Amino acid sequence: MDPRLSEEQEILRKSARDFLTEKCPKTLVREMEKDEKGYSPQLWKEIADLGWLGLAFPEEYGGGSMSFLDLAILLEEMGRALFPGPFFSTVMLGGLPILDIGSDRQKEKYLPDIISGKTIFTMALTEASGKYDVASVKTKATADNNNYIISGTKLFIPDASVADYFLCVARTDDKAKKAEDGITIFIVDATSPGISKTVLDTIARDKQCEVVFDKVKVPGENILGKLNQGWGEVQKIIERAAIAKCCEMLGGMQVVLDMTVAYVKERIQFDVPVGVFQAVQHHCVYMLVEVEGSRAATYDAAWRISTGRPYSGEAAITKAWVSDAYQRVVALGTQAHGGVSIIEDHDMPLYFRRAKAAELMFGDARFHRKTVARNLGFKVA
Amino acid sequence: MDFELTPEEKAFQKEIHEFLDKECNENVVAETLSLQGAGPYSKELLRKMGANRLLAPRWPQEYGGRGMGAMAEVIKVDEITSHHAPFPLDGVELGNALLISGTEEQKKRFLPGVARGEIDIALGYTEPNAGSDVASIQLRAVDNGDEFILNGQKIYNSEAHVCEYHWLLTRTDPTAEKKHRGLSMFIVDLKSPGITIRPLYTMAGLRTNEVFYEDVHVPRANLVGEQNGGWAVIMSALYGSAVGGGMATGTKNVIDTLVKYVLEEKQDAGENPWIPEALADIYIKTRVGELMGVQAAAYADLGVIPLYGGGASVSRLLGGDTRRLLYNTAMQILGPYGQLVKDSKWAPLDGEILKEFLDAPRWTIVHGSQEIQKLLIATRGLGLPRK
Repeated sequence: MDPRLSEEQEILRKSARDFLTEKCPKTLVREMEKDEKGYSPQLWKEIADLGWLGLAFPEEYGGGSMSFLDLAILLEEMGRALFPGPFFSTVMLGGLPILDIGSDRQKEKYLPDIISGKTIFTMALTEASGKYDVASVKTKATADNNNYIISGTKLFIPDASVADYFLCVARTDDKAKKAEDGITIFIVDATSPGISKTVLDTIARDKQCEVVFDKVKVPGENILGKLNQGWGEVQKIIERAAIAKCCEMLGGMQVVLDMTVAYVKERIQFDVPVGVFQAVQHHCVYMLVEVEGSRAATYDAAWRISTGRPYSGEAAITKAWVSDAYQRVVALGTQAHGGVSIIEDHDMPLYFRRAKAAELMFGDARFHRKTVARNLGFKVA
Repeated sequence: MDFELTPEEKAFQKEIHEFLDKECNENVVAETLSLQGAGPYSKELLRKMGANRLLAPRWPQEYGGRGMGAMAEVIKVDEITSHHAPFPLDGVELGNALLISGTEEQKKRFLPGVARGEIDIALGYTEPNAGSDVASIQLRAVDNGDEFILNGQKIYNSEAHVCEYHWLLTRTDPTAEKKHRGLSMFIVDLKSPGITIRPLYTMAGLRTNEVFYEDVHVPRANLVGEQNGGWAVIMSALYGSAVGGGMATGTKNVIDTLVKYVLEEKQDAGENPWIPEALADIYIKTRVGELMGVQAAAYADLGVIPLYGGGASVSRLLGGDTRRLLYNTAMQILGPYGQLVKDSKWAPLDGEILKEFLDAPRWTIVHGSQEIQKLLIATRGLGLPRK
């Protein structure tokens, strides 16, 4: 067993950190919160040129043929820097699913443009319930000659406002005995007639959208994977995305811990740095428990993905722990800082707000604890 | 990055697992669960384990070990605790300190016996007026040339009544300017004249001891480390134990038992929807603590040993909290039946849950209370100021 990064991975981490420190300062992060697009096309091009978008894709499509573990390192750095933009959506919710289950034709058509930064993808899964379960998929796709007609409303769709394509999850057979057996994933051109998008005002100002599909015509050849058998694939996409989200969250909470420890060493009250007080020390120690636990679980899970091991159970354990952990870290971090850290122009609110958004994404702690309970043998709805 | 055990570690895990499946019989389990210290069946098992070099895998071959790493130690502890084989084996843990601080003669004299399961060494730090503030101990050792003469009292020295030796922290220089500079460590034969051991029992029924020293003569050859250099030896003992929470098979077995109990015995599980989520939460905390503990052992074997502030120290902290949460939750699941003591009519799950519930607070107190752990993590791990 060797939990260390390889030499190449350390270099990747350092170069990513250096790049993001220079190109993605908090001023940009704040600017992008107010920006209509929510990302900088200039920076997007630069990360494409650096090969970040293609990092985990095979060389034949223009990618870097690196592992998921390498991608995990990059995501952790992006989580540290609060990188704004549709990187996560495009890679985790578009590119990698196409690589996994797309036809050769689909891979050739879409992957090179994803990797070069030309097209942005996202997945349109969640609906009015806000849940990541199969029963919540009400959007319907009805066969019409060689096409499908999709109708329904998707909610909380990340980066939909700037996406060129959606992986739209729709019900294609509502008579199937098991709800899981009637779900299909479609690659939908975002410019298709009948699609309307509204950016939602969210806690992280991260461009989650409502997307209405009103009789949107999609060619049958745009089915990703198999007709009516998409739910298993959707689950895999969510589980992997949950672990990827944990990488970002880990980066964020490490920053919160570091800045808190630095601050309590400097902040003088009662003529001493507040870090001498055990009440404050214990806050910092419990933040460390959360961060170290998140690191141990997240990288174990990322390694499992990277080496082709099963990771379904680990995804639930990891996302449950990390979701709660990030909340506790920002709560203790603000408490240790005091008033200064709840003022909007402090960095803390940036992390505080994103901790909640990330917790909700791909199932919150409660959702994943239910999965763990099922894996223990309980029948949980 | 690689989170797989090495083939050698896997083989060791299989070997000790199969050995204990076969040899750790119900008599041994009964002795362990009685919390009265290693009895005759336990001692017999320890000798058999010793004969197979299963007790001290981390030590060099020449002292009866296998020359393996911290991971083998983690595997051993996991198999021993999940089989309810005798534990703790403080002699093995203290042997790690002896490997750092002892003379060659001392290593040859004590380590092979410990590794063979023939002798064990009890911890002797705490006194009535020196708990977390261990440097305040008063048990006096007076230099008398070839020997030292010891007078004083220790307390909460569990296993001292079944061990052959005492790993004893004494005060050799009461005039030292700083109190931790006047300490010396000894290995004392517990059969020495002048030693009296009296039992104390915890609320869980666990036996621990008070140990009284009255003009006990200890040869100079039994001094470990420098005279007045006992503090450094204590630190080397902590270093040896800095493996962390380790694996958690035993805890996961308890969770499985509770799941089975709820599914089979509590037909009203549907009316208690909190139970699945509460046990899932404990399972998650257990698993994350395990991952931290195991990875900390891997780091230790790679020579990366953040004594405080790394996964080892924080996994112990989390493990203690999780143990309390587990047995508190278990008692809530059992409801009024949980209060029934072992062997009483209607006692569920052999009354083991109640005993563990009463024993859980011990784990956040012994071997450095959580508060001391937090202090060390904060000041040494995170570099926060002391004053």
